[in-house]
Amino acid sequence: MNLLDRYVTEVGKHLLLVKGHKDIEKELRSTLEDMLEDRAQKAGRTSDEAMEMELLNEYGSPRKVAATYNPQLYLIGPHMFPFFLLVLKIVTLVITTVLLILTGLKIATMSPMAGPEFAKTIGEGLLGIISAIIAAFGNIVLVFAILERVVPAIDFKMDEEKEWDPASLKQETEPDEVKIWEPILAIIFTFIALSIFNYNPQLIGIYTFSGDKWSIIPILTEAFFRWLPWINIGWVFEIILNGVLLRMGHWNMPTRIASVGIKVFQIVIGTFMLTGPSILAVTPKSLLASGIFDADSAQILGAMAQNGVRGLIALIIFITGVDVIKTVYKLITQSPSVKA
Amino acid sequence: MTNTESLENVILELRRGVIVLATLSQLGTEQYGYSLLKQLSDQGMEVDQGTLYPLLRRLEAQGLLESVWKLEEARPRRYYIISAEGRKLLPKLKKEWAGIVSVMGKMLA
Repeated sequence: MNLLDRYVTEVGKHLLLVKGHKDIEKELRSTLEDMLEDRAQKAGRTSDEAMEMELLNEYGSPRKVAATYNPQLYLIGPHMFPFFLLVLKIVTLVITTVLLILTGLKIATMSPMAGPEFAKTIGEGLLGIISAIIAAFGNIVLVFAILERVVPAIDFKMDEEKEWDPASLKQETEPDEVKIWEPILAIIFTFIALSIFNYNPQLIGIYTFSGDKWSIIPILTEAFFRWLPWINIGWVFEIILNGVLLRMGHWNMPTRIASVGIKVFQIVIGTFMLTGPSILAVTPKSLLASGIFDADSAQILGAMAQNGVRGLIALIIFITGVDVIKTVYKLITQSPSVKA
Repeated sequence: MTNTESLENVILELRRGVIVLATLSQLGTEQYGYSLLKQLSDQGMEVDQGTLYPLLRRLEAQGLLESVWKLEEARPRRYYIISAEGRKLLPKLKKEWAGIVSVMGKMLA
């Protein structure tokens, strides 16, 4: 292998992710040979290694040459960055508000508190907010980095960048139109739910303070975690569907059918969870064992919690069912105008 | 940043916009990269190969150029030629360029 071959191979190593890199290497080799021949003719002698070295030195380092073919690589590109900031602000605001309320509730329910204990609770609350924001930031960056690579950049334009027509003020909202922030938020929150339920299930529980430390009473039973793989399937399909909606910008018949399919699947899982063993570990027995409640209070609260969770599942099934009926109705009544 | 660097950057920016027009204008007949580089240079438009080759690929991806590999002197060469779409665009670019030259001529007079 001569110097030119080695040089081209070196450039090629930095071009592996560039479309048509073999073609670039072939053209580079051809150009270098042309340039070398040109130099040899001007010098009135045949080319030699010194001439090759001089040429390659002028052409530049392989990394630099390869960089001219590499498009600017972004984790989150300029088209998507404003949306990233918008979502980040919303999620940060929601997390901060919710965790501040929770910290406030803790302080309120545990008063009176001594100074150090109060400071510790505040400190833990703030640390919780910071770590939750960092985790959410990581998840949001990951989601947007994926979207950057699967959604065409042209689909990401803030409203003010698009040509604005005052006549749009008179227009009714297009029923098939997808507001761009809806699938983005759906993807992010589903992603966060996937991360928490699958990788940090210990975070879901009742936080109690006894003595000098916080402890968490898990609230979900084994029965819930037996259903989790099925719930995950529903969530993954939801993420895919929202990704498709983000890419298309409107609903059509296949996406509506997919949405109905996912919701029916979730209703089936919900029905099994409703009729099967309880998914809530908070029972009169567990509350009594916690030592916080007396027998009567534990009995009442435990029963309320068990009935409450079943009621909540039933309500979610009902709302999802209504949504399915509405979507099916749209499919039937609007099918001629639905964009394919 | 020194004055020299600033000047070089501004000149680079100025030239960058012109290279597309210069390249399209020279590809009425097919040419391979190095021959185009020399042709541009002979006419006073020095273009770095690190600028020209990626530009040729970009213009081809935009549909303004077409290319074909040919074997010449036992060496494969990629020949570029302006496409039908590029031919439609070129007069508009020339007109735009003439407008810019005219305006700038008045402004700098």
